[in-house]
Amino acid sequence: MKSRPALRDTLIAVVALAVILVIPAFHRSPAFEDYIIRLSAMALFATSLNLLVGSTGMVSFGHGMFYGLGAYSFALTMQLTDLSLPVAAILAVLLTVVAAFLVGAVCVRLGSDYFAFVTLAMQMLFFSVIISWQSLTGGDQGLRGGIPRREIFGFDLSSQLHLYQFSAIVAVLGLLALRHVSASPFGATLRMIRDNETRAAFLGVVLWRARLIAFVIAGGFAGLGGVLAALFVSGAYPELADWPNSGQAIFAVMLGGIESFLGPLVGAMILLALNDVVTRTTEYYGLVLGIVILAFALGLRRGVLDYLRRWWAQGRTGRAR
Amino acid sequence: MRTRGIGRRSILGGTAGLLAAPWVARAQAKTLRIGMQSIFSGPIALVGTSSRAGVQMEVERINSAGGLLGRQIEIVYRDSKGQPQEAARVARELVNSAGCELLLDAEASSGAFAVQEVVRDLGVACIHCNSETSSLTADPKIRVPTAFRVARQGVHDAIAGSAYLAEFANANKITKWATCSPDYAYGRDTTAQYLQFFKKFKSDIEVVTEAWPKLGQPDLTEVITKLIQAKPQALFTLLYAGDLSAFVNQGNVYALFSQMKVACPNFDYPVLTTIKNLPAGIQAATRYIETFPDTAANKAWGESYRKKYNEFPTNWSWENSLAVQFMEAAVKKANSTDGKAVAAALVGMKVNSPFGVDGTITMRDDHTTIGYAIGWGQTVPQPPYITSVKPADWGKILELETEWKKQQHYI
Amino acid sequence: MDLDALGHCLATAACVVTQTTSGLIVGMLLFLVAAGLTLIFGVLKVVNFAHGTFYMLGGYVAFTTLAVTSSYTLAVLAAAAAMALFGVLFERLLIARVYGSNVLMQLLICYAVVLIFDDVVKIVWGPDFHAMGMPPAFQVPPLFIAGGVVPPFYAVLIGIAAVIALALGLGLAMTRLGKTVRAAAINAPMVGVLGINTTLLFAVVFAVGGALAGLAGALAAPVRSLSPGMGFSILIESFIVTVIGGMGSIAGALVAALVVGLLRGFGTIGFPNFTDGMIYAAMILILVFRPQGLFGRRTA
Repeated sequence: MKSRPALRDTLIAVVALAVILVIPAFHRSPAFEDYIIRLSAMALFATSLNLLVGSTGMVSFGHGMFYGLGAYSFALTMQLTDLSLPVAAILAVLLTVVAAFLVGAVCVRLGSDYFAFVTLAMQMLFFSVIISWQSLTGGDQGLRGGIPRREIFGFDLSSQLHLYQFSAIVAVLGLLALRHVSASPFGATLRMIRDNETRAAFLGVVLWRARLIAFVIAGGFAGLGGVLAALFVSGAYPELADWPNSGQAIFAVMLGGIESFLGPLVGAMILLALNDVVTRTTEYYGLVLGIVILAFALGLRRGVLDYLRRWWAQGRTGRAR
Repeated sequence: MRTRGIGRRSILGGTAGLLAAPWVARAQAKTLRIGMQSIFSGPIALVGTSSRAGVQMEVERINSAGGLLGRQIEIVYRDSKGQPQEAARVARELVNSAGCELLLDAEASSGAFAVQEVVRDLGVACIHCNSETSSLTADPKIRVPTAFRVARQGVHDAIAGSAYLAEFANANKITKWATCSPDYAYGRDTTAQYLQFFKKFKSDIEVVTEAWPKLGQPDLTEVITKLIQAKPQALFTLLYAGDLSAFVNQGNVYALFSQMKVACPNFDYPVLTTIKNLPAGIQAATRYIETFPDTAANKAWGESYRKKYNEFPTNWSWENSLAVQFMEAAVKKANSTDGKAVAAALVGMKVNSPFGVDGTITMRDDHTTIGYAIGWGQTVPQPPYITSVKPADWGKILELETEWKKQQHYI
Repeated sequence: MDLDALGHCLATAACVVTQTTSGLIVGMLLFLVAAGLTLIFGVLKVVNFAHGTFYMLGGYVAFTTLAVTSSYTLAVLAAAAAMALFGVLFERLLIARVYGSNVLMQLLICYAVVLIFDDVVKIVWGPDFHAMGMPPAFQVPPLFIAGGVVPPFYAVLIGIAAVIALALGLGLAMTRLGKTVRAAAINAPMVGVLGINTTLLFAVVFAVGGALAGLAGALAAPVRSLSPGMGFSILIESFIVTVIGGMGSIAGALVAALVVGLLRGFGTIGFPNFTDGMIYAAMILILVFRPQGLFGRRTA
């Protein structure tokens, strides 16, 4: 497969962004805008996870740790200092990058099952630190009192419309950057490691280093997603860093498709919509979600986008014949 | 008049109708929609189901009497699953998309703080019905102009409980105490608060050991043996619900209750009725109990609840019932559902209520209720479960609360 | 940190006896659940994240059986039998369909089962917690040994768990079935080629795992609270035990369960707020420096 021109990806991103930004001019729907804000956070979270799961074959059970860390460090910086919002956001992402480096340095050499377990254990440790370090984090009650949303570049982020625009821009830029990583020679190296690590090693790839770099990049973008999540709830809560949240991201990745770059985005869209509709109609959300997961895992057996792409490819070869 | 069934059927039916046809909703624009959010799924779904029951009873009463401002009330329920970020989303959805003019927030504390920030942004009138964390309304930085609490407030219970336990300790010559509370914000803050006031009432107490089991920790054996080892004269515990029930059952195995006095403010009906061998003589506060306040009105409310739902009311049930009563009175007085107008009406409002010590409960100007029933008594294994209940002295509560607020720099 | 208290405790016989037995009790119940988990992983390489659900359902089945028959023995047997059956169904209908595929698929299926049965329990038994209560035969005062307290019910519990540990250990070492299971753990396709019905073998392994978890649920029910979602904390703890002991090793699970139990027993005295943190940290250290666990074999 030839690496696709960056120009085309940029064009798609620009068009998508333009559409999203134009919608409120025609129709204001607070529910839709909230949906896009949450989707922005979750899309970054899930797509960054897929850089590990899909591109590199590293199944991390603890990705929520970086999402939560991004949210907490951003919210705390905003509450405790007078730094401007972009500076706080960049600091938060940097902190997550450092954390991902430290965690990654410990885990990336492990075999795949043990890698999954140790990331899960790290996340549990991180979660228990959030809960115990009450004086800083507010413990299980989360950070209270709201995030002061200082105006930036004319964006007033306590206004829903502005937060919508801001989140969409950040998410699209973030996804574009991730796309760039995965389409780059480095991305090709990661896929080679996934498919045959022995061969990659023979070709001179330092396996642990490539994995560590991927892990750090993924952690950083999850942290960026966490910043958006913190802005949406105007605070930070331990649930953001808990295992069910990591599970959500894993499911979004699987549901959308691990072989397609936009798969996790599609998965996140479906999952969020499902959540919103189902919790409105029944208190047995778990039952419904469980059945959906089973139907998906036993029926489709691969992500929606992967499935569509195969179907499309088959259809084309069929027609050609 | 529509009669709503209990529980899931009504929530299904009600919301199915809501999804089915937005235009139907428009045709009934006269209906007054009130959003209610809580935890309806997961291990602590009882919070949601019993809160909803409390709300339903009042709404049926109002609707059959002609509604509020001449409009029938329709409650729109949403499940936050106990996650704060979901609580925030759901609150916005209720107001922004579901067309709710008022909010009843029946979330646990962390959810309530998330809802609080949404209310700050949206300016809708909101009543928190379940969060007991004092700072929600006491801290002026966290308080919101249109959000109120109709529920117990932690610091009130702490003062009342400490005063009662100090007297109890004096009468029984108890100085050596142990504490055992869940290891998270509620357990830690509230234990500290009780101890602070306790020492004020009785300076010679000594805490010989502390245990901090995790929330939902299934096996408390090592905690129980640790407590017995320390040989305290009395134990104070803030465990609740399933954890409290497990503690009593596992404590019974070690005969803990014959080796020390035990005091706990969290014995409500679900715990009292579930435990098979409830030891007698535990010092217990009344979260909600039909026999305190010992009035006809309270008994009637409890009985009609039991008859309707075939289960005992919880502490959340009365808090949510009362919240609807306050909302009803405030909307009537303001003759509007506008956030600012309702808020103005609520401040200082007094309603007649079976749950008040003197038959009334007041919404104070710092957005929290006072005058509700707080009493302490002792357990017995059969109904009424808690006997010889002594009412708390609200004069003393208010005096010490003011002192506490100054100390926290809230005033 | 309260190391003085810990030192003081270790210096008194009563405290040591009591906290040790507490640790054993906690550990033995943990072992029953973890044994099934480790057995299933050892043979099938499936991390059964639905194992906590087996435990929960076992507790509820016992609760209802006791209410109907008033016999605790029956309740325990019914729970074990029901969960053996449940284990087989779970394996045949769901897990068997994704053998050999992505680990994530197995994880998702387990996750789905957890979600579904938490809600099923809520529908059948209600959202509120339940307490089974102590069976009358055990409503007796505790024994005092060397100044330490030992309740008879727990003495019986430890006995049952010890018998099961022994039976499992000997069964795996001595019997033909046990040898087949061990062989399958090393190379399942080869065992199949040798003419052994691996389909049946896998189902049996899940039945045993399920029965053990159901048994643990029933044995714990008299003293613990039953509530939807109660399986989760058990799953996490037994998962930790399995990892520390070595995925697939019964002996490892036993030792690790006792270590975790004792850590809890003495941790609550010495470092009550960091017991969990200690356990997680131990797990991370083991995974990093000895990924196969204390007793595990190093396999690919």
